[in-house]
Amino acid sequence: MSDFLLELGQNHRARALIKGLGLPIPMPQDLARASEGFIARPLEGHEVAFGHGDASPLSEVIAKTLAEAGAHVGVVHDCPSRGIFETQAEAWSRPQWELTLNPDGPKLDSIVFDASALDTTESLRNLYDFFHPLMRRLKKCGRVVILATAPDAKQAPLMRATQAALLGFIKSVAKEVGKKGSTANIIYVEGNASAHLEGPLRFLLSRRSVFVSGQPIVVRAPKGRKLPEWDWSRPLDGKVALVTGAARGIGAATSSLLASAGATVICLDRPADDGLLSKVAREVGGMPLPVDITTPEAPQAIADFVAEHRDGLDIIVHNAGVTRDKTLARMKPEWWDQAVDINLGAVERITSKLLEGTLRDHGRIICLSSVAGIAGNLGQTNYAASKSGILGYVRGLAPVVARRGITVNAIAPGFIETRLTAAIPVVIREAGRRLSNLGQGGQPRDVGDAITFLSTPAAHGITGTTLRVCGGALIGA
Amino acid sequence: MLERTNLSQQDIDAIVWGGVILPSTAPNVGREIALDLGLPASVEGMTVTRACASGLQSITTAVAAIERGDADVIIAGGSDSTSNAEVSLPSKAVHLLAPFAFGKASPSDVMGVLSQLMPLGDILPKMPKIAERTTGEVMGESAEKMAVRNEISRLAQDELALRSHERAAAAIESGRFDDEVVAVETPTGALVSADTIVRADTSIERLGKLKPVFAKDGTLTAGNSSTLTDGAASVLLMEEQKAKALGYTPLAAFKSWSYVGVDPTDQLLIGPALAMPRALERAGLDLADIDLVDMHEAFAAQVLSVLKVLGSESFAQHRLGRDTAVGEIDPARLNVHGGSIAIGHPFGATGARMVTTMANELHRGDKETALLGICAAGGLGAAAVLERV
Repeated sequence: MSDFLLELGQNHRARALIKGLGLPIPMPQDLARASEGFIARPLEGHEVAFGHGDASPLSEVIAKTLAEAGAHVGVVHDCPSRGIFETQAEAWSRPQWELTLNPDGPKLDSIVFDASALDTTESLRNLYDFFHPLMRRLKKCGRVVILATAPDAKQAPLMRATQAALLGFIKSVAKEVGKKGSTANIIYVEGNASAHLEGPLRFLLSRRSVFVSGQPIVVRAPKGRKLPEWDWSRPLDGKVALVTGAARGIGAATSSLLASAGATVICLDRPADDGLLSKVAREVGGMPLPVDITTPEAPQAIADFVAEHRDGLDIIVHNAGVTRDKTLARMKPEWWDQAVDINLGAVERITSKLLEGTLRDHGRIICLSSVAGIAGNLGQTNYAASKSGILGYVRGLAPVVARRGITVNAIAPGFIETRLTAAIPVVIREAGRRLSNLGQGGQPRDVGDAITFLSTPAAHGITGTTLRVCGGALIGA
Repeated sequence: MLERTNLSQQDIDAIVWGGVILPSTAPNVGREIALDLGLPASVEGMTVTRACASGLQSITTAVAAIERGDADVIIAGGSDSTSNAEVSLPSKAVHLLAPFAFGKASPSDVMGVLSQLMPLGDILPKMPKIAERTTGEVMGESAEKMAVRNEISRLAQDELALRSHERAAAAIESGRFDDEVVAVETPTGALVSADTIVRADTSIERLGKLKPVFAKDGTLTAGNSSTLTDGAASVLLMEEQKAKALGYTPLAAFKSWSYVGVDPTDQLLIGPALAMPRALERAGLDLADIDLVDMHEAFAAQVLSVLKVLGSESFAQHRLGRDTAVGEIDPARLNVHGGSIAIGHPFGATGARMVTTMANELHRGDKETALLGICAAGGLGAAAVLERV
């Protein structure tokens, strides 16, 4: 199950030898993951280059976010937003540094570009002018984030085209920087949603988004009441979360991350996995809930359990899922039923029940989809249908619950090193790993980190969307 | 102080004492003082510890007790003696040597010691080092980082250090400190009545020659950092009416105080920049209303960092939630008789020394108000506002 090339790549001599001989063997970069719990300043000491086109409507919130997160921001000498960054630099005692657009300057942890005002074909040239000299200065496991304007019906076609072009640009950048373990992503911000940019920007620049690359995140101004303040070092303080399929893999990793962010986690899995489940629940200081989610009584049993132990629920993570792979011609009817019912049917039944008074306002619903649900896969008609159904479900449910401040999103993992992928034949498994920009599979906690981010108050502006945690996999891109 | 004030021992309710490096055999220093002085057994005692703010903490604890009506008269202060700090043995050495010290050692115990002598570092006593537990940095390293982040130059630090020495030397020379300093007898019998670390003859040139100590290309030196000295200070506290009834002339009163915590991994010693505005607000005053400011000089870099952000409008808006900067502090009213860089910093005593000097200063001059600011390990900040009575 371990990734031989990743381990080989960490050996300096082997790495030098392979490079020296010019062997066509990919050497994936070991990804720098956050090693501690949630912290107030995840970007402490990071050198960040910031730039923008003719105007930077988002520079206020970017400057504040970066300074508060501990980053040390450089802008070019004649940057019109310089004063804004200087003000924040002063408040947080992080002196401004002057960015020069040449390839030989100091190395950069991150490059952030506000492209939200680009509206003509010619203005795209700003991307080239800013990024071209800086690309070689990006450190290993660096970050590139572009801020863009979310599409809306009133925009001129040329504006739409320009903003859409940014996605192709960032996806290509993601491919270029991936072999060094770096990621590149884009945040599309609705005009009046800049106040909700802080959370996604922090997440994408942090070491909790290592396997998110080449992806767009759309931030819109939420309906409903204003959120209470939260603490970045304990963003889920006092929250109660339900994680299905919590006994192992992504579910166990997610439970642990939610708990370290301050949540009490109700860990749900099949009664048959009681031993493993209890262990996970004990480790995260949560509560085990052995329930078979396919039974008709399950939704009520969950609601009763929550009512018995807590006042309500804040976060639902629908992680439980199964594969029952066979080509359609050979697939037994019960295999179809099982995959579709567990992966989609149970999600809908449990959610509907918990929306009747169990899930509190400002709640979070996160459903696990899959890249297979986006791209389809040989021998997975049942699985892909159910996972694709999830994408439609979150889009459909999001506006229904928006008034209560509840967000609904899907996570689509790519190749993640789990029990499921360990069972894949070795040749296909190897191919699967190398198909991502990062040249490797992700870890369960990478998905857990994305789920935890979507669970936080800071992700308030993100709903009805699908976030891929796939390292920028070629499939379905 | 008891001698100077002629206080009747029967009138004392309690001693509240501050200390940082407490003797492990008698950690409740406050009570030990009462017993050593032969005060009536009814004079109870406690010891508080809040790192470098312990001396101020003991006093505000006592003030609060008097205000609550728990006590009428309290002696509060603090002391520390780093030169008497206990050096602890690593627990491995304690376990190895226990059979010899506490019981009969068997031959196998002897062999045990011999076989575990290496590596020697595991069993030798460690050099005491005052490092921040969360960050592992000694305080000078944290202050060095603050100097970089707040762009405090070496020259500015040396200038502040020079001013501290010049003013302390002038205060000693003029006899200003005579009323607040007690002579101490050394083991050889000599009486010492002035600090020997105050350098009346230092200069920018001489300070400029010192090598940085906490970072290779750093700006903090032995000259612009405070010295860890031995010392003690105390004050007598009671309500104004009580003082008058006992025939005393009160020097000053506490108008407000504030203690804050900041993230020690960010700027360890910036706490006073948050505590001082808060104490001012509680006193209903502006910085402009304050006649004297006394800031503990852990490092010149730390004082200058705090002064810089207090003067920043951006800091005020984004960190304090106020529209305008707290304000600039005129050097003429800051640490008028020098500070810890010149006088030394016996942790638990410093706050009480500052209160003493400011209370006397308010009483002597035509000054009405004084603001105190102290930074402390663990990311703590302390501040207090005194007014003339």
